[in-house]
Amino acid sequence: MGERVFAVLGVFAGPDALLDAASKLEGRGVGKLEAYTPYPVHGLGEALALRRSPLAGMVMVMGTLGTAAAFLFQWWMNAYDYPIVVGGKPLASWQAFVPIMFEVTVLFSAFTAWLGAVFLLCRLPGLWHPMLSSSSMPKLTRDRFALSIESQGRDFDAEATREALRDAGALETEVVRFPPAPKPASLTLLLGLAGAGALACVVAGLATYWTIKVFPTLPPMSRMLQQPRLGAQRSSSVFAGSAGFAPVAEGTVARGRLPYPFKTPEEAAVLGNPLPRTKAVLAEGKRRFDTVCRVCHGPLADGKGTLTKAYGASPADLRTRRYQAFPDGSVYHAIMSGKNAMPSFAKALTEDERWSIIHYLRALQRAADAKDSDLP
Amino acid sequence: MTLRVLAIVGALGCADSLIIDPARFWANWLVWTLMLVSAGLGSLFLVSLEHLTGARWSIPLRRTAERVASLLIPGSLAMLAALIGIPVLFPWAQPGWPEDPLQAGKTAWLNVPFFTARAAACAALWIGSWKVLAGGSLELDRTRDPRLHLRLQRFSPFFIAVFALTVTVTAFDWVSSLSPEWYSDVLGVYLFAGVFLSGLSAVSLAAVSLKKEGRLQGVRFDHLYNLGGFLFAFVVFWSYIAFAQYMLMWYAHMPEEIFWYKDRVEGAWGAATLGLALVHFVIPFFALVTRGSKGDPRRLAWVSGLVLVSHYADLCWLVFPSLGLAPRFSWPEAAAGLLFVSVGLLWVRRATAQGDDLPVGDPALEEGLAFRL
Amino acid sequence: MAAETLFAGPSTAAGLDDQVLAVPESRPPLPWWLAFACAASLAGLGLACMAYTVYTGIGAWGNNRPVVWAFDIINFVFWIGIGHAGTLISAILLMFRARWRNAISRFAEAMTIFAVMVAGMFPLIHLGRPWVNFWLFPYPNQRGLWPNFRSPLMWDVFAVSTYFSVSLLFWYLGLIPDIASMRDRARGWRRNLYTVLSLGWRGAASHWLHYEKAYTLLAGLATGLVLSVHSVVSFDFAVSLVPGWHMTIFPPYFVVGAIFSGFAMVVLGLVVVRSTMGMGNIVTDRHLDLANKVVLGTSCLMGYSYLLEGFTAWYSMNPYIHHTFGNYVHGTYGWAGWVAVICNVLVPQLYWSNRARNSLPVMVGVSLSALAGMWFERFVIIVISLHQDYLPSSWGLYKPTPVDFGILLGSFGMFFSMVLLFARVLPVVATTELKASLPGSQPRRGPPYGLRPPPPARPESEPGQPRRAVRPEDRHG
Repeated sequence: MGERVFAVLGVFAGPDALLDAASKLEGRGVGKLEAYTPYPVHGLGEALALRRSPLAGMVMVMGTLGTAAAFLFQWWMNAYDYPIVVGGKPLASWQAFVPIMFEVTVLFSAFTAWLGAVFLLCRLPGLWHPMLSSSSMPKLTRDRFALSIESQGRDFDAEATREALRDAGALETEVVRFPPAPKPASLTLLLGLAGAGALACVVAGLATYWTIKVFPTLPPMSRMLQQPRLGAQRSSSVFAGSAGFAPVAEGTVARGRLPYPFKTPEEAAVLGNPLPRTKAVLAEGKRRFDTVCRVCHGPLADGKGTLTKAYGASPADLRTRRYQAFPDGSVYHAIMSGKNAMPSFAKALTEDERWSIIHYLRALQRAADAKDSDLP
Repeated sequence: MTLRVLAIVGALGCADSLIIDPARFWANWLVWTLMLVSAGLGSLFLVSLEHLTGARWSIPLRRTAERVASLLIPGSLAMLAALIGIPVLFPWAQPGWPEDPLQAGKTAWLNVPFFTARAAACAALWIGSWKVLAGGSLELDRTRDPRLHLRLQRFSPFFIAVFALTVTVTAFDWVSSLSPEWYSDVLGVYLFAGVFLSGLSAVSLAAVSLKKEGRLQGVRFDHLYNLGGFLFAFVVFWSYIAFAQYMLMWYAHMPEEIFWYKDRVEGAWGAATLGLALVHFVIPFFALVTRGSKGDPRRLAWVSGLVLVSHYADLCWLVFPSLGLAPRFSWPEAAAGLLFVSVGLLWVRRATAQGDDLPVGDPALEEGLAFRL
Repeated sequence: MAAETLFAGPSTAAGLDDQVLAVPESRPPLPWWLAFACAASLAGLGLACMAYTVYTGIGAWGNNRPVVWAFDIINFVFWIGIGHAGTLISAILLMFRARWRNAISRFAEAMTIFAVMVAGMFPLIHLGRPWVNFWLFPYPNQRGLWPNFRSPLMWDVFAVSTYFSVSLLFWYLGLIPDIASMRDRARGWRRNLYTVLSLGWRGAASHWLHYEKAYTLLAGLATGLVLSVHSVVSFDFAVSLVPGWHMTIFPPYFVVGAIFSGFAMVVLGLVVVRSTMGMGNIVTDRHLDLANKVVLGTSCLMGYSYLLEGFTAWYSMNPYIHHTFGNYVHGTYGWAGWVAVICNVLVPQLYWSNRARNSLPVMVGVSLSALAGMWFERFVIIVISLHQDYLPSSWGLYKPTPVDFGILLGSFGMFFSMVLLFARVLPVVATTELKASLPGSQPRRGPPYGLRPPPPARPESEPGQPRRAVRPEDRHG
């Protein structure tokens, strides 16, 4: 019984008596007033001069944030970070983003309303609140109403407050005290908690390992790895060596795949560009150059491509006099066999494309130090 | 008196525009016809909703709604007059339609006699329903016969069925068939949202202005709050339907549908579409979202005005691009507006001179007046 | 039966507690155990079929090209629809201040949550590899991929999970004061459990203020949400090009259908609660009458939608749409279309009669018919539209397997198991809300409930205007 006093409680039978008492005591300076009722009583907030709930504003702000967040993350993910065209729709198609914008707005607002009201404004959960150990509590969640005057320091006079409540019409009064302070935790308890924590960590780690490493290998998860294929290859009895196709005759040359006998750029210099220098050829050359060569050699063939830095290599500036003097065949050889750090691009380009690139490269070289007479 | 002069000025302007540009005149006529019908039909819907659900809060406002609903009479007459404009307005009534043989089957629905019959049936049903609901209410004031009250309640579900079907038919006939190849089955619901919105706004405006004259004693914040709440809800509902229709057509992008939106989203109408979204959704939404604003008479009055304007804009947006008209507000539009607004105001003013301001014969009027939020 | 009184229950708050809260405090009777055993074994059957599906693969079902969506999505849409009545009753009727919601809102909300839980399982098992369901969510991953937000299936993920979370929040917020009442009646471990569940609620006036605000706000949010969820579900179909799916009326039409079937389920549940738990004085005939009127109204709206769909299908003059709509009423599955029309539109018309609305056998029959009709409506939309579309060479028929039926039955088992558990563990009626609306529960004086008008307050105050409990001079004096 020696604990500190939390408040003095006066119990009333009905909402009218409660409101009367509240308006009688409010503003008298008797202490902080609070009421406890089994259900919301209309007009009680005004009688206790409580401020209106700021919840609506909070919800409005968070809801707006939700709308903005939903638009931004959808735009960022689908139009910026991972732009992929689906169904011929524009990358940033706001029409398709609206449903999720709406849902996220509601989600943010609803959580704000709930968490804001319960945790932030009511400061629940209060599992050890002194009122919960009050003997009047069971009546107050049932059908009774209480007005409490909270203690605000040492000079709180519980008896006088009881009297004031009785004067205001309380049927019964109660002095509510803080529950006894919990005993300090013992060393064994702390050690036990630490042990349990450590064990939980180990279990969590093992569970994670199992989920990532073992779980996917179990059936049915592993089925994705062992799918029988329809029409797997079988041996044929028609051709020799059980082959599915007739063996290719000696000396056959595939269409567009002429053998390339040259070993050095000097040997290859005998080759001449078979393509005429037309607009179409130059356009094709630019298209293939931009696709294949540009990342390293740069759009102007000056060796300033985007990949240069990333690979630490320095591709040649193809506009220099040295390369201007290079015979077409030698450039062709560089494309076919590679040069220094440059790999072979034989597989990436057809023969005509290689020659058209060379035409385009010549045009770039000439543009590098163009004269007035070059203008059409 | 001024209203009469304005009406005459408007009528002269309209006559002038009919001679100069018949297509534009008939488009304006159609839009304003639909405005009158919307305000009247929406108010009558509010009345029947009250009878159907037994709502108490709207009883003190019911007479006002019944009076606004009398706009159905000039509205229906204007609609019958608009039948003259069929050959100008509707491609299906012009020779050479349809070019596409697949569309030929539509002539079973889109032909002048059947169209006229439908319009006439709608007009008759509207005026008849108004007579039953508003006339019955006045009769109730005189006789205080509870059986009459019961009859009004029994009638309201039938009126709601009539309302749903006629609004849909109006949407398909007078709006959708301006582009006969186009179809959207939600258009009836879309028009319904606009109709109910303009009914609510007209009733709110009438109630606020009657209160300003010192009439409608007993109509308080709480009643207006519910009107504002409905207005807010249906602003959102309209936006939901409008967005859903647009999004589905945008997504599917089928040529037989999307051309209708291309007419409205591209070119000069693009800005108008954005403006429509602003005045029909964004501004009223934020103006009514807080609790106090829904029942504040001044706020309610200007939002109601705005909603009426936006319903007008919405109807123009539905009608004009199908006729190849640009988003312009010039003297032909102004003349038509002048004519119809002044006739409508005259009509409602005449109606407010008849009977009591409150439905004094309603047995639940006391409860309605005592309504608290 | 007299359908006039809305409330015939105990007239005091204490009496209400003693009637409603006594149910979860007592031991369940034998019929409850029998019902629970039935429901749980059905649920077990469903779970077994689901386990079999997950282990074997989606091939265990009848789905195949061209009918790639079938029972799973039908059940999903069906259950999401059932889940709409709860939020509608709680939220929209709260917004419209329909007082009759108080007695049935808690039960309906619980049904919403269970229905959404059941519904959520179907897309999950339809994934084929449900253990990687987290791929649906946008989280930074080592593959550098993000989900495609232009897909309506992604919208579903957001809509359904938002709907579930918000319904749960709303339901729990309403439960907190009721659990506090139970806490104060209980002893021992139950008391501790209820203390934690009630978050130590103590009914302080300063708490009620925020609590009521939060409740109203959540109701407003849920109102918008309930419209959006089934609309998003309808987008799954309507954004496509499949004839019969691409209809602009789908969003509102799906919402109406959802409310229709949801109310039918609520009526069924209420009939059972009333008759087995002795709640007939709280959930009165009047409640059932009003709920049945909602069923009738939504049924008429369904009729309107069918009419309009049929008309527009004809009016579109699109031969593919004509073909699909022909299939709805004749052809292999044409009978399903007739089942939908008869059960959803014709049978509920019985409710025009007062006697039918108040007769228990009729309302059970109509509710069952509505549930069956709505299930078949989704069957019509999904299976019939898919089985024959543009290319005749890819037409095909669909036949469900026993596993399909097992999962369908199991979904009902799971739903009813959860409902039965709820009915014995938590109060089925929102006692706190009912207490607040009992006669004499509110002060006769004091400002009227709800908001005050913005200043200047009421220029023409009536003579009957109650005096304000607090005068400004009191407050600052």
